[in-house]
Amino acid sequence: MAVEAAGLIAIGAGLAVGLTGLGSAWAEKDIGSAAVGAMAEDEKNFGKGLILTVIPETIVIFGLVMAILLWTKM
Amino acid sequence: MLLPEKMTKVLIVGSKERLKDTIDVLYSAEAVHPIDFSPEEEGFTLGSPLSSASEVSQKLLKLRAAEKDLDIDGKPLKGMVQVSRIYSELDQALTMLGTELSSAVESKNSLQGRIHDLENQKKLLEPFQALPIELDLYRGYQRLVVFTGTVRNDPEAELNSAVKNFEFFKSDDGKLVAIFVVREEAPEVQRILVQNGFSEVPVPVGNGSPAEAAKRIDDELVLQQKSLTEANEKMVKLREQHETFILASDEELSIQVEKAELPLRVGVSEHTFVVDAWVPTNEVEALVKNVQSKVGDGVVVEVLETVPRKEHLHPEEAHGGATEAHVQEEAPSKIDQKRPIGFFSYLTNLISTPKYGEIDPSYVLAITFPLFFGLMVGDIGYGIPFMALGALGLRKCKSPEWRTISTMLLFGGIWATLFGMFLFGEAFGMHFSPQWIPNTPEMHTLYPYGNELSWSSMLGTNLPQIGIISKLGNVKLFLYITVWIGIVHLLLGFGIGLYNEAIRHGMRHAFFHKVGWIFILLGGACLLPWILDLLILNVAVSYTDPLFLIGIGLLLAGIVIAYIGEGGPAILELPGLMSNVVSYTRLAAIGMSKAGMALAFNMIAIEMIAPAGGVALIAGMLVFMAGHLMIFILAVISAGIHGIRLHYVELFQKFFSGGGLAFNPLKIVRKYTSER
Repeated sequence: MAVEAAGLIAIGAGLAVGLTGLGSAWAEKDIGSAAVGAMAEDEKNFGKGLILTVIPETIVIFGLVMAILLWTKM
Repeated sequence: MLLPEKMTKVLIVGSKERLKDTIDVLYSAEAVHPIDFSPEEEGFTLGSPLSSASEVSQKLLKLRAAEKDLDIDGKPLKGMVQVSRIYSELDQALTMLGTELSSAVESKNSLQGRIHDLENQKKLLEPFQALPIELDLYRGYQRLVVFTGTVRNDPEAELNSAVKNFEFFKSDDGKLVAIFVVREEAPEVQRILVQNGFSEVPVPVGNGSPAEAAKRIDDELVLQQKSLTEANEKMVKLREQHETFILASDEELSIQVEKAELPLRVGVSEHTFVVDAWVPTNEVEALVKNVQSKVGDGVVVEVLETVPRKEHLHPEEAHGGATEAHVQEEAPSKIDQKRPIGFFSYLTNLISTPKYGEIDPSYVLAITFPLFFGLMVGDIGYGIPFMALGALGLRKCKSPEWRTISTMLLFGGIWATLFGMFLFGEAFGMHFSPQWIPNTPEMHTLYPYGNELSWSSMLGTNLPQIGIISKLGNVKLFLYITVWIGIVHLLLGFGIGLYNEAIRHGMRHAFFHKVGWIFILLGGACLLPWILDLLILNVAVSYTDPLFLIGIGLLLAGIVIAYIGEGGPAILELPGLMSNVVSYTRLAAIGMSKAGMALAFNMIAIEMIAPAGGVALIAGMLVFMAGHLMIFILAVISAGIHGIRLHYVELFQKFFSGGGLAFNPLKIVRKYTSER
């Protein structure tokens, strides 16, 4: 039984980090391509583009923290 | 010191005859940021360029044309040209360049044209070399029609059956055909040819066999190309001879044109001129003296006002954004930092230029960005190469981008080494700890994953334990520390925001816009241990714990203040603040991912491959080096990007408004010329 619980925790941790990673990537894909477009028009937009692009990254950090907390319970 | 320099608005008024001298003085002061004159003021119009402008511009045009012809690019040169020499030799040089260069360019162009023609002719001749007919036999008939061209299918059989009087030639591959036919039967031939995918190829002019004609063209091509090489060599010689002088003259004349065109930004009446300008307050006195001594009577510098930092927001501007006139009135920000903090203002400027009334964030960036980078890398083995790379970059690189990156690597490397030494105690992912002794419980606190590689086991000696926590062993502690780093960093951001708001909009505004958030953050910080107990550690919690009560109190007070100051949206931003804090856990996450990768590569290289000895030892070393090189490069990207992101997204939003006007004084930058 104990082995099964550990396995389920591992699957949960994997899902937490994997799905949030996909979520972040999906959001960043759209923002990033728009940011590159804006940068092509005016290079001064680089900084603002970078900020906007990395905003959804927090999602995967949440997922990673959850995964780590789960992992420490294994 | 942290704010941009104090600015004073001055008005320089004088008689028009003195305008030229005044412009020279303003340029030499290097401290005057002129405000473009708006021609609405009564009695004044925009000035027109000084009389010298058109003559200088014409000369400049000739120089630029010569630069283009000679293919001169602005690469750095050795030595400088005296300005006096430029003026004494310029006219002569321009005349000489005019004649010598134009003849050289002309002959080069005509040669290139001739070569192009010859090559075209040769190309036209090429297919006809496959047919055994001399060129002059293709034309000059009255009763015959000649078809020459390419076909897709061989039309010979069809022609034989349908046409009586004709001659047919084809190339060996059957693609090119030439048909001589009597005029009456030409339409029939044409029809057959079209059915076989005929496409006409005109016969080139000339006589004799095509092969001979091609040879004649080849011979001429060789001659012409030789002449072209000579012409090119002549141009290169001309360039070597005149490059320095042309670049220097270009620079000097550009300076003169810029100066002569300054009146376009200045207001003039019939006899007077007026310049509005920003001058750093501590340089006003020197400027006044300078103008008096060098221009003398006839020009007056009037000190108008030293600009206060406080901004007066009109109600409609507060909501609808600044109006045009308001933007014009904002003093420029002169940010004058000493190295190395100055390099970090490059990163600030990627976002925006700080306003006149706000602290330049480059200072915070210069301190905490390398610190965060160091914490994420946290390894002596990477820290020392980072330092070396940064120092090398600062020595070799010239562009501001690379100097910024080098500075960051140097200081980040120093922090990484310090953290690697005193906090984590590791190099290349291996710890400095005593040797593993089996079956001792204490060992499990040092090595949570059992007998892991350490420097002691590698070197076979018993090294003392250095470092306090292990990235992979004390995960929860590491995460907890980074949350606190986040809270402190954000408090710093709100603190700076409070100061900025206080000097720009007054204490009341600052209190309602920033103190509320500081209370919320402090309240959250007080509640943090309690939340951890409740949600993660599953420890019984007490609702009468003083820290809990203080935390709840601060949180509620903060929400009320923020609600009064910013209205409903403030409530919506509360989860945002929480995610800001959690976002700092990436410091731990990235540190762990580096340590994890290093552990994996060490295991593969040292424990799995190398022990076989011989070739495997070398292979193991290669894997070790390649693996750590990869982690090293990834560290620049991930730790660098995440470090700067924490500042841009989390920190800057708490205080930085930006959108300032960079101080851009009139000044002359000389690269190729010197005045002495």
